[in-house]
Amino acid sequence: MRRAIRNYFVFLWRCARIAFVGDWRYYLWVGTLTVICLLGLHAYCRQFAQGLIVTGMSDEVSWGVYIANFTFLVGVAAAAVMMVIPVYIYNNEELHDLVIFGELLAVAAILMCLAFVTVDLGRPDRFWHLIPGIGQFNFPASMLSWDVIVLNGYLLLNVYICGYLLYCRYQKKKAAKWFYIPFVFIAIVWAISIHTVTAFLYVGLGGRPFWNSAIVGPRFIASAFAAGPALIILALQVVRRVTASAPAVETARLREGAVVPETARGRAATIDDLELLARHLPELASVSAEDRLKSLAGAMVLEVAAGDTLLRQGEKENEAFFVLAGRVVVEREESGRFRITRSVGPGEQFGETSALAGTPRMATAIAEGPTRVMRLPADSLRQLMRNPQMNRIIRSRMQERLMITDRGLLTLRGIVQVSMLINVFLLINEVFKEFYSGNLHVASAKYLFIGLHGYHALVPWIWTAIAFNLIAMVLLILPVSRSLKWLNVTCVLCILGIWIEKGMGLVIPGFIPTPLGEMVEYTPTLNETLVCFGIWAFGLLCYTVFLRMAVPILQGKLSKANEEQPEPANGAPALSAAVEP
Amino acid sequence: MNRRSFLRTSAVLTTGLAALAASLKPLLEMNDFPTMERFLQKYYKEMTPEDMEKVLKRIEAEVEKQYGIRPHVRDLKPMDGVEFVYCLNLTRCIGCRKCVHACVAENNQSRNPEIQYIRVLRLPHGSLDIEKAEHNYAPESVPEKGYFYMPVQCQQCKNPPCVKVCPVHATWQETDGITVIDYDWCIGCRYCEAACPYWARRFNFTKPSIPKERLNPDMAYLGNRPRRQGVMEKCHFCIQRTRVGRYPACLEVCPTGARKFGNILDPNSEVSYILKNKRVFIQLKEELGTSPRFFYYFDV
Repeated sequence: MRRAIRNYFVFLWRCARIAFVGDWRYYLWVGTLTVICLLGLHAYCRQFAQGLIVTGMSDEVSWGVYIANFTFLVGVAAAAVMMVIPVYIYNNEELHDLVIFGELLAVAAILMCLAFVTVDLGRPDRFWHLIPGIGQFNFPASMLSWDVIVLNGYLLLNVYICGYLLYCRYQKKKAAKWFYIPFVFIAIVWAISIHTVTAFLYVGLGGRPFWNSAIVGPRFIASAFAAGPALIILALQVVRRVTASAPAVETARLREGAVVPETARGRAATIDDLELLARHLPELASVSAEDRLKSLAGAMVLEVAAGDTLLRQGEKENEAFFVLAGRVVVEREESGRFRITRSVGPGEQFGETSALAGTPRMATAIAEGPTRVMRLPADSLRQLMRNPQMNRIIRSRMQERLMITDRGLLTLRGIVQVSMLINVFLLINEVFKEFYSGNLHVASAKYLFIGLHGYHALVPWIWTAIAFNLIAMVLLILPVSRSLKWLNVTCVLCILGIWIEKGMGLVIPGFIPTPLGEMVEYTPTLNETLVCFGIWAFGLLCYTVFLRMAVPILQGKLSKANEEQPEPANGAPALSAAVEP
Repeated sequence: MNRRSFLRTSAVLTTGLAALAASLKPLLEMNDFPTMERFLQKYYKEMTPEDMEKVLKRIEAEVEKQYGIRPHVRDLKPMDGVEFVYCLNLTRCIGCRKCVHACVAENNQSRNPEIQYIRVLRLPHGSLDIEKAEHNYAPESVPEKGYFYMPVQCQQCKNPPCVKVCPVHATWQETDGITVIDYDWCIGCRYCEAACPYWARRFNFTKPSIPKERLNPDMAYLGNRPRRQGVMEKCHFCIQRTRVGRYPACLEVCPTGARKFGNILDPNSEVSYILKNKRVFIQLKEELGTSPRFFYYFDV
């Protein structure tokens, strides 16, 4: 027990350490975010001291950009987990590797949400009045009390799921299904609930006809499903860029000479080699001596030097490898870029997926240093996998990789595509209902879309949003967005369009005109804007740090096995999770 | 750790701490940090009479310190068999806004920034569409030809949306029909302000300021005691007056007698008479189902 606790703290400590290590791009990015955070904190301290008078809000427009950002980010948080649905319900393999990125984004987004509601409070010092049991919690009557529950619950769920999965990866242990699958399903339902509850926050107000419309909930979900995955696509592209291979490996790749020649420094494997392997792979011990002997048929032990290629992407062979000593890095080429998908050490295998399936190699494996591997034919591997324990460990390790494929990104594009179409459709519904019936309650919508009584601050905004959304929709329908560059552009348009439409375009016009028909406009002040930038920077900083920890764990570079080794040196680019400049 | 990395680490740490300190600097301007006593103050409904006694004493001391006047702060409970109702005669109202200012004086509202509980609307004859209302009318003299006036304040709804949405029960309806706020419990989320269909709630966007000589020292805990920055307030039918048998300030000041106030449970009260005998009366935005205790009527 004490050992387990100690191990866990070592894990946390190493994760924390690695957040402070990176190349100059990483330092620049993190440094810039920190400065913006501090500027935001300064602005917030001013607000704390002087009151919300330093914002552009008034008794007439009593919620502003804080709540607008909050609303948008709840959507992002919800959508980040909705990505999980295709993985666990339809068993979509392409997205399986991406789930953790979505969950981490959800955590960062919820942290931002909580920050945005906190800065909106007039008396943040009385936060404890909201704690059930200690304060006075108006549940279930107040939608805000529901929000407190669902947001915090969602945060806990996602922190737990991410933490558990990553810690399993770190220990190179298979995640126990019962420990996380139920929570994943709860998180899916919960994701819908957080966004629905946030919509109900507005929908439930009978005195605000602009919000008091049943379509707000579905619109929220549709727009969230467009903006959330769009944000994830962008984040994944950045991750892909920064997980490009180390220069040392690059040079090795350039070196002529194909796969290590059959006989070079190789010899037939013996039972002693299997003994050695079993030391790193305890499951092997449960295989009967007879089966072990059988598996040695055709098995070779190869001694290779740093930079030697052990197998090459695209070639068709049917052999799998186990590392006996040293380390092998596996990298995959896609659209002209090489990315590290896994890093394997003693006792671990590579090349097994293509060997078992009889498909071409999915990636190239290169020795990081002097390395000894055992190469065995697919049939021998199958022989070993007849043993249930071996089968389980090999199968679970097959999942241990960081592979963000183009197809995965395009699957996400599919989600954005459909959601954007639905979003625009629902918007048309809303606009029709408001304007065609032409009753008295159209005032807010008029103010938003065409201006009212000479007031039209929001008109340029909403039309920009509509233009962005429509361009994004057209791009998503056209095949051009299958090219990743155009996909990036489309995603940016989606995010901006939806941010305006859902944030400023929904929250602000609800207050204009006031219930007594007065026209008072709202413009955020500089102080308020700085607070917003500060919170966004804080959220991005969190997400960057989360990725900085998660990527090496997923690649297998940061694991319990290499606990004793020193941390990767400063500026080892293979590990740096800097963000695209 | 070698010399160089030690120097670098300490340089980074010092810069970081200095930057953090600089960011926190605006907090030094605060002279109103909540004391531990205020921070831990209990919810109104959970206070024992002794707790309340202590809190009232503390509030009196705080007000005296700030304004130099010893106020008399009471915790007035609703009377049995009383449900207050307000009736306002739109035929008589001349839009002079005397009620607005009497209310500000009585209830210790902030003068800067200005907070007012009553908003008088000017409407053209022939329409009750408040989207056509003029808020900032400023003629030489009132009443103006072709217009009528409609003062709007908290409607003291039987089914108040503001109470429903408050996440911390900081606002509630008392048995005499008055919706009140525990100013020391409100967290300032302004959800009630968004929920109110009558724009009756006001927020203290900064520290309220009241000239010392204008302070009304006759105070109630749920009524007109001075509020702090960051909390909601609203019309409470002058709890400090009406719960001891007096009329609200807005009624007393009205030069035309347009305002009527009383106990609807008493069949002989003026408001009972009006609701029984006047044939035209309006509950503002009746279709929302809020069921206001504030009735507008015309003499016909």
